[in-house]
Amino acid sequence: MGLIDQAVDLLETGVSNVKENVKDVLDQADYDYSGAIYDSILTTKVGKVIGWAQKNALWPATFGLACCAIEMMAMANSRWDAARFGAEVFRASPRQADLMIVSGRVSQKMAPVLKTIFDQMPEPKWVISMGACASCGGIFNNYAIVQGVDRVVPVDVYVPGCPPGPEALLYGIIKLQEKIMNEAGTKQAAKRVA
Amino acid sequence: MTSEEIVEKIKTDQGKAINSSEVNLGDSVIFVGAERIHDIAEYLKNDPDLDFDYLSNITGTDYLNEEREPRFEVVYELHSIEKNHSIRIRVGLDEEDPTIPTVSDLWKGALYPERELFDMFGFDIKGHSNLSRLIMPEEWEGNPLRKDYPLTIEDVTFSHNREFKQDLVKSKPRTR
Amino acid sequence: MTVTDQGLLEREKDSMTLNMGPQHPSTHGVFRVVLEMDGELVDSAEPHIGFLHTGIEKTSEAKRYVHVIPMTDRLDYLSPPGNNLAFCLTVEKLLQTDVPERAKFLRVIMCELARMASHLVWLATHALDIGAMTVFLYCWREREMILDLNEEISGVRMMTSYIRLGGVVKDSTPGWLQSVRNFVEYFPAKIDEYERLLTRNPIWLDRTQNIGVMSREEAINWSMSGPVLRASGVNWDLRKQRPYSGYENFEFEVPTGKNGDIYDRYLVRVAELRQSREIVRQALKNLPAGPYKVDDNKISLPNRKTLKSSMEALIHHFKLVSEGVSVPKGETYVPIEGPRGEVGFYIVSDGSNVPSRVKLRAPSFMAIPGMCKMMEGCFIADVVGIIGSIDIVMGEVDR
Repeated sequence: MGLIDQAVDLLETGVSNVKENVKDVLDQADYDYSGAIYDSILTTKVGKVIGWAQKNALWPATFGLACCAIEMMAMANSRWDAARFGAEVFRASPRQADLMIVSGRVSQKMAPVLKTIFDQMPEPKWVISMGACASCGGIFNNYAIVQGVDRVVPVDVYVPGCPPGPEALLYGIIKLQEKIMNEAGTKQAAKRVA
Repeated sequence: MTSEEIVEKIKTDQGKAINSSEVNLGDSVIFVGAERIHDIAEYLKNDPDLDFDYLSNITGTDYLNEEREPRFEVVYELHSIEKNHSIRIRVGLDEEDPTIPTVSDLWKGALYPERELFDMFGFDIKGHSNLSRLIMPEEWEGNPLRKDYPLTIEDVTFSHNREFKQDLVKSKPRTR
Repeated sequence: MTVTDQGLLEREKDSMTLNMGPQHPSTHGVFRVVLEMDGELVDSAEPHIGFLHTGIEKTSEAKRYVHVIPMTDRLDYLSPPGNNLAFCLTVEKLLQTDVPERAKFLRVIMCELARMASHLVWLATHALDIGAMTVFLYCWREREMILDLNEEISGVRMMTSYIRLGGVVKDSTPGWLQSVRNFVEYFPAKIDEYERLLTRNPIWLDRTQNIGVMSREEAINWSMSGPVLRASGVNWDLRKQRPYSGYENFEFEVPTGKNGDIYDRYLVRVAELRQSREIVRQALKNLPAGPYKVDDNKISLPNRKTLKSSMEALIHHFKLVSEGVSVPKGETYVPIEGPRGEVGFYIVSDGSNVPSRVKLRAPSFMAIPGMCKMMEGCFIADVVGIIGSIDIVMGEVDR
């Protein structure tokens, strides 16, 4: 059980206490809209709040491999502006990042390095496999290339294309945000920090 | 100098040292034995008329599928910056003993291409300062660019996303 | 610790090994270098490459000539048309065919646009490594325009595969030519903008002047090429020395440097941006009319319209699509001037429709030992500057 989980549990116990109290108060006050207040605000889970914070502050690792890395750089630039989705803070150290964009082909020599970098990232962490080569080996079905990076690290979102344009990668990031939000407050999210 | 002149000059100066020469599609080409390559390279670099001071490229070739002897070939591309002409040296190498002396003492730029030849073809470069794997990992077996090395190796079978994929398969509606 | 004659403190040598890469933001990919440090100074640098080894050369031996072209895009992924051109010129030399004038001009336009795009990425990342963030944003702004031009004519932003055997894949449109013209008119002011930020910037000068110096003789002996060679004072540009694809029709200068340091390489590349823009301007002005690919159905696909009326064209189409181009037996090497230097393919053909050996002469690969030679004796902080000034692309280093 990670630290975050403990904190979430504590908070949720506290919040449920508050909810009970508030419910009593609201019942006594007998407002018309007391039910609405209760449903809209007070039933929100703390896990959801944390997921919302996480999805809007994805910090990718600067992990450029090949051609796709150029398009990844383009995504961070002014025209495509990944900052709109909170994913522009590229971190040089994997220990400060929580999103790994595998941008390009992964060779047999690079695969152990990639795994090490993934292990160095703090939990919870997500992986986007960018481009055909990272997703399945692409046009390079040969001795040198790992046929899909999902053989080395677990992948959350696959972005197709050779190379995918920045807009495709942005769509991948939005999809990942949806995934984070769907998982937030559930067992899957807890599993990520186990 | 034009390609024909270069070939003529080398023929008159070093006629015995080279095996043959030709002008192929406008490029001057000489064929040299592996034991003479260093002498010829030194001559090409130091001759004032030829003055090949720039090593452009070193290539290995494997002629396994073609009926010809010897099996391997090392190809050097040289330019002369001052004179603006070029030459190609082709050196045949035996299958049993692919050994060739280094030219990295003449052109420092030869260090890495020669290491690449060792790595990708398994040629033994005599006199090279650091003959170790360059592109493939240290523990790699075989020399990938040889023709008898398979192009594709299916090795890794496990996947992190296997569980998820099985769920997908299960949730598919059954056909028939 | 002892005191020397000059009154300086001298300590015993105490070296430390420092690993840089393969995951490092300023190694421009997955380059790894192991530095032996003596305090802040680099004693020796040992490069490790191969982390992006893709086996393109080996895979090419299993693909038809036409299918190799998209793979050459992925070698030097900052200037794909240059690789396409080098490959096509080599195969065309083996086929002994010559492409029409219009195709040559279109090829030149694509290559020079790619050279500009490539130099813009170089300037952006090099300046970012040294600490100038604004240049990064500015350069990408103009690069996006070039990528839009690529997308308009070939359908993709980066990997155009526009240059094919016997010409180009399709003719340019008047609208596209007008877009290029607009860009060419717009671009010089932007180069001035970058220069205003850097050329006389004292921080930039301090970080680049007299660092990573390579003399003329060294640069030749270590097989450096392209802007690095020219910055060392060697007037060697294959567009001038061995004109290919109609470069003899253009008037342009070959900028050279004097000192061979990082700053001179910067000046040479910025001057090349202006020259490339000038070449594109001339190409647009003198673009001849006529066919955009050879009229030889054994090499390029027949015209779409003739397919419905001519049986012969249909047979050629079928043969070319299902079998590909058969290249006469032989081997040859054609070098061209890419953004990083001499790009050349050595191709061995055994007479079939599949190449027997494809070897890329990669300028970045040849530059790596020379680059590590430059690092010796410099400060650790200058290592990123030196790597940036060579402008390595790992795709073509590891192939």
